[in-house]
Amino acid sequence: MIPSAPTAALFVLLAAPASGAVLALVPHPRVSEWIARLAALASLGAALVLLVTSATGQWGSYLGLDPLSDLFLVMVTSIYATSTWYSRRYLRTVARPFLTISTYYALLASFAFAMVATLVVSDLGLMWIGIEATTIASALLVVLERKPTSVEAAWRYTIIASAGLTIALFALILLYGATGTLNAFSLAAHPPAVSLPIEMAVVLALVGYGTKVGLFPMHTWLPDAHSEAPSPVSAMFSGVLLPTALYAFLRVYRILPSPVPAAVSDLVLSFGLLTALVAAFLLQRQRSYKRLLAYSSMEVMGLAVAGVAIGGIALYGVLLLLVAHAFAKSSAFYCAGNVLRETGTVRIDEVRDLRHRLPWTGAAWVLSGLGVTGAPPFGTFLGELLIIVGAIATGNIAAASVIVVAVLVAFLGLNSQIGRMVFGSREGAVAGSDAPPASERGMAVAYLNIGVALVLGVASLPYLSSAIRAAVSVLGGSAP
Amino acid sequence: MLASEEVVALVGVGILLTALYLQAESFVAPLIPTVALQSLLLAFLLGWLAWTERSVDLAIVAGLIVAIRAVVIPWVLRRQIRAFRWKVRELHAAHRVTGHALAAVALAVIGWFVFQETLAPAFPSPAAALPFVLLLQGLLMLATRSNSLVQVIGYLELENAIVYAAALFASEFPLFIEVVVFLDVLGVVLVGIILSIQRDVTGTLEEGQEEALSG
Repeated sequence: MIPSAPTAALFVLLAAPASGAVLALVPHPRVSEWIARLAALASLGAALVLLVTSATGQWGSYLGLDPLSDLFLVMVTSIYATSTWYSRRYLRTVARPFLTISTYYALLASFAFAMVATLVVSDLGLMWIGIEATTIASALLVVLERKPTSVEAAWRYTIIASAGLTIALFALILLYGATGTLNAFSLAAHPPAVSLPIEMAVVLALVGYGTKVGLFPMHTWLPDAHSEAPSPVSAMFSGVLLPTALYAFLRVYRILPSPVPAAVSDLVLSFGLLTALVAAFLLQRQRSYKRLLAYSSMEVMGLAVAGVAIGGIALYGVLLLLVAHAFAKSSAFYCAGNVLRETGTVRIDEVRDLRHRLPWTGAAWVLSGLGVTGAPPFGTFLGELLIIVGAIATGNIAAASVIVVAVLVAFLGLNSQIGRMVFGSREGAVAGSDAPPASERGMAVAYLNIGVALVLGVASLPYLSSAIRAAVSVLGGSAP
Repeated sequence: MLASEEVVALVGVGILLTALYLQAESFVAPLIPTVALQSLLLAFLLGWLAWTERSVDLAIVAGLIVAIRAVVIPWVLRRQIRAFRWKVRELHAAHRVTGHALAAVALAVIGWFVFQETLAPAFPSPAAALPFVLLLQGLLMLATRSNSLVQVIGYLELENAIVYAAALFASEFPLFIEVVVFLDVLGVVLVGIILSIQRDVTGTLEEGQEEALSG
């Protein structure tokens, strides 16, 4: 019997990174690299097949897909593929890596597999295991460069994220105790009557998964891990790990019947707004450009969580923002990797005149900065605009005002710093690092990703726009 | 003969006492047998529930907890202490012990009342609030301590709270064994790998030494 296209694609989607994680351990760096690349491309291809065929339904008791998971799968596998591609040039310049190249690619594939597995399961318990597995797979990637700061960052990441996820598991236990099932699809189709244990479970899930999403005040691991991880891994952290954790929360949030009880939606909104605002202001005082990007991710996740609470048309904005941000932010981290390799420093005040030193990187760096902060005509701009319009449409002017302030403060803070690095005079900048010069050829993936973020704002990408609409309907929102 | 609920409550009080002791101790070495004792008490409780409910799953989980949380992880932690025997007391913790102990008691009382006001009607067992209180104690330990070994002990306490909650609230919780195994694998990974790297690269197990990570 020949399996249907979605079934075959689902198999490849899981098998490619899983087998990549094992086969990449081959002790030959070049072979390992190509295995990793093929695994990443195969999983991206499978995710695209699922998107094009609008795969929905359940496979057995534990696997399930709908337009929301199809959309997130394309996002995750895209950034996994570009990060794998970018890794080669980045790894070449790491002086004393803690991991062998083969182990690095194996862990990268395991990390991607954990995210993909989170997105294709219908059981909330398995989804939790998937999110927890992302911590195990990625913690060692943070210490790749063997610096004391990266070891401390890895420790903080592991312990804080795991503690948060323990709270999320507590939420699932309460949920199971109250409903007798953890199947996200059946819970969403037949929402249980609202009760205090269920509301408490959703709130605890917000705190628990919110830790991994980077919500204030549980965000403290995020700037450390994002800034200390190698750039291709930081791109996956910022671009897709945070949204995958948000996806797990969305699945729990979805079991509440519409309209969501005000106490819960107000709490979710408050967490989102506070996170966006705090991140936007913390971003101003950063001395490291990688931490600058990390706080920018935190700000975007805050906006997304606020948009989830607002609902309606804002949900379309949330999904568009997440997809466009994933591509733009990964591009920004690839640029940051090149700048770090060229200058040997992450300090903003020690990097100047990139337009002459690394012209292609400098240009992509400026574009990525604009892309991640929601400048028109990037997809992030449209996403943020729709969240604001959604807030106004529901009469929540205060929320709309806070979002506007957070967006403007983050925009000015991030782009002024990037502008200084690219266009500032060479005086006061460091001469360069001992590492071999960074290759500008590695910038192709950065331009590819920033291009996707741009197109998302100005045109309808085939299948992707309709996929976002379909995913919005899963969340009970509306499209413009 | 004690009624089942009395056994659950008695063991629960024992677990709570170990949690409070963990908060009030600044030396690292005594924390290890204490958290092992907490795990043993939890395993005993699970064994009791497995016997009364004829549940194979709970019996397996009880065995896993004894093997991993009462034996393997404490053994790994003791080895780490031997490697750091001149730093067995957490920096800065000694003069904060009173504050930690008071905060722990206050949090236990607040947690108890929050549970009674919100979840008690759905989970009417008299000991039902204890897993929630234990969860808060574990989080407090993680938030207030900066030594990595002590944080591992706080994390073990969180793990114990989860198993405790699942046993009391949802003993038929799907994938229960898998989740427990997964938590313990993570615990071993945390203890075994990252602590070793931290020791080798930074020469300390105290957090907050890296100024570059501030802000």
